[in-house]
Amino acid sequence: MNRNIRAGACNSGHHLSRRSLMRGLLTTAGGYAVANWGALTHSQTIAAEAKRSGKRCIMLYMGGGASQIDTFDMKPGRPTGGEFRPVQTKVTGIQVCEYLPNVARHADKLGIIRSMRTKTPDHGPGGYYMHTGYNPGERFPHPEAGAMIAKYCENPDSDLPSFVKIGGQSGIYGSGYLGPRYEPFVVEEDGRVPNFVNPSVGTEVQERRGELLDFMEQRFAEERKGEPFAAHRTAELRTVRLMRARQAFNVSAEWEKAKERYGDNKFGRGCFTALKLVEAGVSFVEVAHGNHDTHMDNFPISKALYSTMDPAWGSLLDDLTQRGLLKDTLVVWTSEFGRTPAINVRAGRDHFGRAWTTVLAGGGIKGGQHYGSSDRDGFEVADNPVGEADFIATIYKSMGVNHRAKHFLGSRPIWATPEGSKPIEQLLG
Amino acid sequence: MVSAVAFIGSDKVAAANRRGDLLIWNLLSTGDKSPEPARRLVGHTGPINRLLCSPDGKTLISAGNDRAVRFWDALASDGNPGTIVMNDGYRFVGVTEKVAKLPDPPPPVTAKVVEQKPIREFAGHKEWIWGLALSRDGKTLVTGDDSKLVILSDAQKGTEQRRWKVKQWVRALDISPDGKVVVTAEQLPHLSEKEAENGLRGWDAQTGEMKFDASKGLSGGVTTVRFSDDGKYLAFCVGSIDRDGPAGKVFLLNPTTGEKARELTPAHVRGATDLAFHPDGKHLFTCGRDRVVKAWQLSDGAQVHEISLSLQDKGKQGPFTPTLHAVSIAPDGKLLAVADAEGRVVICSLAAK
Repeated sequence: MNRNIRAGACNSGHHLSRRSLMRGLLTTAGGYAVANWGALTHSQTIAAEAKRSGKRCIMLYMGGGASQIDTFDMKPGRPTGGEFRPVQTKVTGIQVCEYLPNVARHADKLGIIRSMRTKTPDHGPGGYYMHTGYNPGERFPHPEAGAMIAKYCENPDSDLPSFVKIGGQSGIYGSGYLGPRYEPFVVEEDGRVPNFVNPSVGTEVQERRGELLDFMEQRFAEERKGEPFAAHRTAELRTVRLMRARQAFNVSAEWEKAKERYGDNKFGRGCFTALKLVEAGVSFVEVAHGNHDTHMDNFPISKALYSTMDPAWGSLLDDLTQRGLLKDTLVVWTSEFGRTPAINVRAGRDHFGRAWTTVLAGGGIKGGQHYGSSDRDGFEVADNPVGEADFIATIYKSMGVNHRAKHFLGSRPIWATPEGSKPIEQLLG
Repeated sequence: MVSAVAFIGSDKVAAANRRGDLLIWNLLSTGDKSPEPARRLVGHTGPINRLLCSPDGKTLISAGNDRAVRFWDALASDGNPGTIVMNDGYRFVGVTEKVAKLPDPPPPVTAKVVEQKPIREFAGHKEWIWGLALSRDGKTLVTGDDSKLVILSDAQKGTEQRRWKVKQWVRALDISPDGKVVVTAEQLPHLSEKEAENGLRGWDAQTGEMKFDASKGLSGGVTTVRFSDDGKYLAFCVGSIDRDGPAGKVFLLNPTTGEKARELTPAHVRGATDLAFHPDGKHLFTCGRDRVVKAWQLSDGAQVHEISLSLQDKGKQGPFTPTLHAVSIAPDGKLLAVADAEGRVVICSLAAK
């Protein structure tokens, strides 16, 4: 029932096709009913369990699968090493790609997981796994991490959405059994809000229309207690609140000063918008950086990708640090999988989940270390394998969310992460 | 994978790969037997992107990702004895997710060679060098890199004459036979066609000022741009990123204005990677990601011949086809050499074509 799975950047014909960004937008705008979600949201137990940690998370999602060997798990001198050179950071033992100088400056803040071992080499299922921690083959939809974090960390009084996706390239997996309240609000790749948020009429007319709609819907609701109506009403109210708060997404004035540091491109602006949103209290912001699916010409294309990824990520860490936000803001760098150690005849790297890398920073993560390792050519995890669920559990625990929090779908119990999942305690402060 | 190739005279061929190996073969006068390399040129520490031989046939010049331009004695036969393994490295194994480890490498095939060092180096670049050209009189070297920098230097003395910035990363360049114009193929590579920034521009070699901008309407990244030796033609081909369909377009431009004069059809499938004018001044040869070498007649743009180097292995067909990366034609016009991503140099006879 993974209705919102989107594929990465593979050529058509070889992988799942893309789905429309509009699907996410419409979901946000109109809401939709998930089977039995109403039973869940009526659970007083769950509502009482919700704890507001005040923490925030920014996920930088490298759509298509970023290469571990070309970034944070380099293999200089090995046949799999590729065309980039490692540079030593200020942390002994941590070398990174020569084309990540801005991220390298923050090596003391990075918790680098070099032993990701995940289950699928396909974009759609891989994206679902890395967003939810669960197998996409299960019958009902699990919420992606952003929705779970929104539920437990949101400020319920804020007009802003608690879960924002900047760009849809990272996939839209939805709030699943948590219900439409925690669906992601999807904005353009550069952080601009979609046009429907901008009202087509003036404030006075809006208010009059709102009063009329309210009157009619109250009458309607008194006679119909069904959950679909409540879901629709919830989404509608959130949209109205969002229209009030939309100025938070307008970073144009400050962007003029920031764009030289972040890079004057969509991802740069997206990261800057994410900074402003978490500063304004948004619990979870995901920023997509797509087209890492380099089956051919991996090195020049990756180099170009890093030229936009690195300054934006580095500047985001700079600004979070300078504003005192980093200790409560977890910054996650991930993909749906990594890329093959072997370089194919088209100078590309293919999909690879057996031994790859993710990076965490801030939010209580003990930086300046790497966890786990791959073997000398990068084909297998050498020690401390980390699965999708462990990764998500680590994020949850860093955010103050119980990774084994129990929810109910009707009478059926469901846990935030699967049984057996373990947060990486070595990385947690 | 063999990434660059250049004839030295008409009886030797040099080829380079993405690991920094640079070898020279003495071509056999008769027979089909594959010769072993005679010389190994030692110095590059990263992928070699471009290779050319001076018009007098005495100097080989190479450039690549180690930011260095190296000059080699193309004719010297002396040096230290060495041995190279011709078949090491990891071979293509498809989408290797389902492969626990790579297959064991085959037994090594070795060759005895003479190892030689460069006669000099030019170190003016700090980024990957993809642009390399020599003026027709052999006196001026033009190089360009990923920092958008173009440098003109004295090819004999190695001294820099001038430098200027272009609009994007330099992927290829050439200097006109009269030495007045430098044409740059530029690109910020990207899988998404919308995000890739492609350029083709002409620059005054004396001032570095732009003379023309032929970027408008480019259907992809330009892989090679080259003036004919008589200066009548300026040809370029498209295909720096693998694309589905007939993406390997080849064009002739007005060499003075940069305006398109003719598109040569049919295009290469998935991308065209290199081109070379035949010494007869009447023909142009191109190679591509479709493993085809095409011969074009310059007078009317007609394709007059095609050499297919397709592979029988189905796993290496379609989108997984190893690319033909570069082409070179011997000065006497009788042989053509192709740099093949399969890890070989293919020599074709043009005598009967």
